[in-house]
Amino acid sequence: MTNYTICVFTENTIGLLNKITIIFTRRRINIESLTVCETERKGVSRFTIVIKHEKRDEVEKIVRQIRRIVEVLAVFGYLDDEIVYNETALFKISTPMDAKPLDVEFINRHHKAWVTYWGLDYVVIEKAGSEKEIYDFFNYIKPQGILEFVRSGRIAVGRTPQGLVAYLPDADWEFNL
Amino acid sequence: MGNYLTVTAAQDAAAGTDNEGAQIPHKTIISGAEALMKSLLAENVDTIFGYPGGAIMPTYDALYDYQDRINHILVRHEQGASHAAEGYARASGRTGVCLVTSGPGATNLVTGIADAIIDCTPMVCIVGQVKSTLLGTDAFQETDVMGVTMPICKWNYQITHPDEVPEIIAKAFFIAGSGKPGPVVIDFTRDAQVAMMTAPFAYKKCEKMLSYRPRLVPKKEQVEKAAELINNAKRPYILFGHGVLISQAQEELKAFVEKTGIPCASTLLGLSAMDVNHPLYVGWLGMHGNYGTNILTDHADVIIAIGMRFDDRVTGDSTKYITQAKIVHIEIDPSEVEKIKKTEAPVIGDAKESLLALMPLVNANNHSVWRNEFRKYESEEHQKVTLRDLDGIGELKMAEVITRLSDKTNGEGCIVADVGQHQMVAARYYRFKNPHSYIASGGLGTMGFALPAAFGAKVGAPHRDVYAVIGDGCFQMTLQELGTIAQNKTPVKIIILNNNFLGMVRQWQQLFFEKRYSFVELQNPNFVMIAKGFGIDGHTCKTREELEESLDKLIDFDGPYLLEVMVEKETNIFPMVPSGASVSEIRLD
Ligand SMILES: Cc1ncc(C[n+]2csc(CCOP(=O)(O)OP(=O)(O)O)c2C)c(N)n1
Ligand SMILES: [Mg+2]
Repeated sequence: MTNYTICVFTENTIGLLNKITIIFTRRRINIESLTVCETERKGVSRFTIVIKHEKRDEVEKIVRQIRRIVEVLAVFGYLDDEIVYNETALFKISTPMDAKPLDVEFINRHHKAWVTYWGLDYVVIEKAGSEKEIYDFFNYIKPQGILEFVRSGRIAVGRTPQGLVAYLPDADWEFNL
Repeated sequence: MGNYLTVTAAQDAAAGTDNEGAQIPHKTIISGAEALMKSLLAENVDTIFGYPGGAIMPTYDALYDYQDRINHILVRHEQGASHAAEGYARASGRTGVCLVTSGPGATNLVTGIADAIIDCTPMVCIVGQVKSTLLGTDAFQETDVMGVTMPICKWNYQITHPDEVPEIIAKAFFIAGSGKPGPVVIDFTRDAQVAMMTAPFAYKKCEKMLSYRPRLVPKKEQVEKAAELINNAKRPYILFGHGVLISQAQEELKAFVEKTGIPCASTLLGLSAMDVNHPLYVGWLGMHGNYGTNILTDHADVIIAIGMRFDDRVTGDSTKYITQAKIVHIEIDPSEVEKIKKTEAPVIGDAKESLLALMPLVNANNHSVWRNEFRKYESEEHQKVTLRDLDGIGELKMAEVITRLSDKTNGEGCIVADVGQHQMVAARYYRFKNPHSYIASGGLGTMGFALPAAFGAKVGAPHRDVYAVIGDGCFQMTLQELGTIAQNKTPVKIIILNNNFLGMVRQWQQLFFEKRYSFVELQNPNFVMIAKGFGIDGHTCKTREELEESLDKLIDFDGPYLLEVMVEKETNIFPMVPSGASVSEIRLD
């Protein structure tokens, strides 16, 4: 199984998420993660979808099927080495007592994780990175007792010097600045 | 998409928006429902197939004032509306329009929408919806039409404000009719129908969209690569499909095969794009297609697929299909390329534009030796299948009926077939001369398609003689549309080939399930009496001796007519590629 990251640029209309996910369900493909946001262009949304698949040509077919949806502007399928990607995780732990102090400096330096909230009874630590880095940190922090753990979907940009501009259809785009 | 008609009803009457305002000068601000009427007129819609109900009533009220400009046809079931719109579209080349209410009205359309997407038929379905404030509350006759139709339509949109109407209807017609055509569903909430627009109505046709831009003219490099493969081929073979008819490329196809000398075969839905008597036309493809046309796909060195999509009914086991040849695929929808077969030279574009672009680059050729290979198989098929089907011994056979119909109508009729053995016999034995002469549900195989579709075809192409060829099983799925035909006095000629069986299923049970006939025998009603009950004349032909006279009566009758022909009960359709087998395993008996 290989990871594929599929980036879909669409007009921002209701129901589009459904139209896209139907293509995966119909082919019985499990979506590992899915993230949606508006891009630097007004009215253009970006879906980042991660799937695992054995056959590259099947993934190419899916990419073409997604492209066929009327509101879709562009679709790209990437292997991991073709993108810069990241995820974010939040860890909620009980506020450390003297017995189990938290080595904040080590967390910052070694794990590149940051305490974003420190309260009397709980602490929230944010860790961004690859899946592996997040799980390394997970194992490190586990002895503290994790109250809640949440990981975002992958976000990714292509390893090319071009921006979106190069791929979207010609139009007078408005920018979100 | 062009307009296939030379004669078009009421098309010119629809004059657009300017003089509309002049007729109703006091109303400059109109309701969403009336905006829909004006939008339809601006799209030159002359016919709507529909059925009223609660959530669409404001629109029907607006329609009341537009009856002189839009011909609304009241069907008997919304499924009938959808197939009638499909028949209309396929016979005329124009987009079919349906208008129905929410809930059950919408769900009754679903079969037709699914049929239209898979057979690439342009259709705009306008569906009433509950008030937008009630959406999601399980209100009376509320169905999530957006959700239900999303996977089976080309595009759908919910209108919740009257101001959206002109822009969305313009998009709907553009999307339905361009590129690879298909059905569009517009879910129109009741409040958006009733409310007044906030500005005077203005209509602008949609000609392009940012995110949807089908490529018509293929890329030069692709055309050059395809031409090179074609020019170097020793045994090239053209497989063409519905795309040729949709893009009106039949003349270009003819010119192309005549210049290159390449034999060509049709898919089921491509039938009639080439005159079957043309010397370079070798027959049709697929499960019940011709013998040599199927087998020789394995002997070609270059396959030129034009406006077809390698459906599994064509390829059989697709892993064993065309393993030796290089493929040139002319196709308007990029997602079809390499969906089934590895393709050496894709040509993404409209069939007509692509053939025009290829024409100057391909060499004149003859390929007579290769072409002769088809003849060998033809004579074997003729001996083993055709002569048996037409031996004139024993009970009357479907093949005789269609052959005689073809002779008597000079191959110029428009055949609308239903689904089953009769569909395959109609495809095999009718000698199509003109394009757009075989209309059937191919991709979905929807029983009950033919009666409403034949009605729609006659409405869309009134100058053509339309013959509905229907099985006894299929007829009982949509026979209520006899009422529509009678009310509109539409001269559709209906032939029921009655074998008292769900014949196609029975054939499979005989051949592949040890003749264990599981629920395939029908106790049929008196079809002629039913027709007469609807006010449609008809009679039954029971023997071979009566056939000539019966067909003459049907053909010459002034008005709709139903002819029931009692045919051999247990005929099998051959040739046949057993399901899942490779095409080389095609059987003649
Ligand atoms: C709506 C629907 N239901 C079931 C089928 C499966 N089916 C395909 S052909 C056929 C038999 C059709 O019988 P009839 O109309 O009598 O035609 P015949 O094959 O006898 O010519 C059936 C049941 C179908 N295609 N469509
Ligand atoms: Mg039957």
